[in-house]
Amino acid sequence: MLKLDNVHAAYDSVVVLRGVSLQVNQGEIVCLLGANGAGKTTTLRLISGLIHPLQGKVCLEDKPIHHLSPEAIARLGVAHVPEGRRIFPGLTVRENLILGASNRRRVNKVELTSDIKKMFEIFPDLEKLQNALGWTLSGGQQQMLAIARSLMAHPKILLMDEPSLGLGPIVVQQVFSVIKQINETMGTTVLVVEQNAVIALSVASRGYVIENGRIVLEGKASDLLNNTEVREAYLGGRRTCI
Amino acid sequence: MSTLSLIGQILFAGLAIGGVYTLVALGIVLIYRATNVVNFAQGDFTMLGAYVLFALSNGEKINFFVAFLLALVVMAVLGLLFELGVYYPLRNRSFLPVVIATIGASIMFQNGALAIFGPMPQKVRPVIYASGNGGITLGGVFFDYQYIVILVVTLALVLLQYLFFEYTVLGKKMQATSQDKDMARMLGIPVSIMIALTYIYSTVIGGLSGMLVAPIFFVTHKMGVMLGLKAFAATICGGFGDVRGAILGGLALGVIESFGAAFISTVYKDAFSLLLLLLFLLIRPQGIFGEKVAEKA
Ligand SMILES: Nc1ncnc2c1ncn2[C@@H]1O[C@H](COP(=O)(O)OP(=O)(O)OP(=O)(O)O)[C@@H](O)[C@H]1O
Ligand SMILES: [Mg+2]
Repeated sequence: MLKLDNVHAAYDSVVVLRGVSLQVNQGEIVCLLGANGAGKTTTLRLISGLIHPLQGKVCLEDKPIHHLSPEAIARLGVAHVPEGRRIFPGLTVRENLILGASNRRRVNKVELTSDIKKMFEIFPDLEKLQNALGWTLSGGQQQMLAIARSLMAHPKILLMDEPSLGLGPIVVQQVFSVIKQINETMGTTVLVVEQNAVIALSVASRGYVIENGRIVLEGKASDLLNNTEVREAYLGGRRTCI
Repeated sequence: MSTLSLIGQILFAGLAIGGVYTLVALGIVLIYRATNVVNFAQGDFTMLGAYVLFALSNGEKINFFVAFLLALVVMAVLGLLFELGVYYPLRNRSFLPVVIATIGASIMFQNGALAIFGPMPQKVRPVIYASGNGGITLGGVFFDYQYIVILVVTLALVLLQYLFFEYTVLGKKMQATSQDKDMARMLGIPVSIMIALTYIYSTVIGGLSGMLVAPIFFVTHKMGVMLGLKAFAATICGGFGDVRGAILGGLALGVIESFGAAFISTVYKDAFSLLLLLLFLLIRPQGIFGEKVAEKA
């Protein structure tokens, strides 16, 4: 479904990705683990077209997309729940959801309303908040809204950037069970970036570890969970967080 | 003339001219919100609108109302060219190069108008051409038709704009664009089109306000300077970047100016708005509704 092939990328002249190759197959949940500044967010921004690679290819369903604009990539069915959620603060929950469908052609009112209703079934909290402005939501509610908004796009693949960031353990559990649920019931392919390796590997089927802009490890989720390097780096001990 | 009708008269004139400030101010605010650019050429759009209407309606070769609509279309095209020429090439830079480019455009517009139309002030006919004194008297207050037109147009536009931004998906997409461009793009919202639409609309209402004041003032290549300045004062008093602030600030400024001219001094009429601006900057720099200007810049 999605394939990155030896991708290099830079901000101005600072090279941040140095040959990232990874692959996400149809229907999979894949996680990308890495420490602060490893290049996880950059990888997702690159897939979304916010930045373009210096070298290498990004393919969606075997077609190169790395030269396209973010708008065009969204229309191809790539949805992105970015770092920091990026809810539109001055729009209501409902309006945020409606705009989630902007990448789809010809969405009629009935379809839109029924899609929003589906989101309220998955995220019951959002229904009560539907007329609240984005900025008034708590971190957890914002994360739920960000996920719901991305689902309004009917994505083929969902990119999620550290969905657990800043959330309490119970909400983190909820978020990941929703990710699992979406993947199982809607068949949405997911690429999730995380620092919380335990929770990410518990829902993912495969994972990659990125360090200094390079993929240093890849494997099945269960293997990574038992890998000593991963354990040392992400499951306590050596882990340093800012 | 009774005191009451005198006050009514001054209030009416103030609101009408305030309506013009509001329209110019709205253009400034919408562009600022969409792109973080303070457009110093916004005042000149009034001058361009007035001149385009003058050129099209002069000699009455075409029906005035057709000329009026054509002038609005010309302004829309100018708005798109302005966006493509001034904003688009510099969109990925900081706000400063774009702001400087708008100042350059302002100078170019004024000198261009001077070169084409010369230094002679020109006259444009009022929208309603009635015999007699060009207005009606009610309760001792004289209502000039052109002033009525200005007020009606201002109110109608403010209402339409409100409905547009509140109740249409396109309006919401434009709001989303002004709140977070990258996120809007990742949702598939064509951000460049939203921004182009904003520039086009702002240019059209700027031109429209010029076409509406043209019969009251003379049309000169400098007519936008003072109007633009007043509109800036209105947006800062109202709260920079706030639509309600632009509306309230524009109308309030018109009224204050009108009373100041009637009771204090006509000569210093233009000074009142600058005085008000200074007062606001000293006492309440964030304006009535808004955020602090200094923090924004
Ligand atoms: N806009 C930018 N301009 C310049 N350098 C940047 C920019 N964004 C990120 N970087 C640099 O790129 C590197 C990778 O950043 P990235 O945001 O991809 O890391 P990350 O893995 O997402 O980290 P975190 O876990 O902290 O979110 C970092 O060294 C960072 O300093
Ligand atoms: Mg990150």
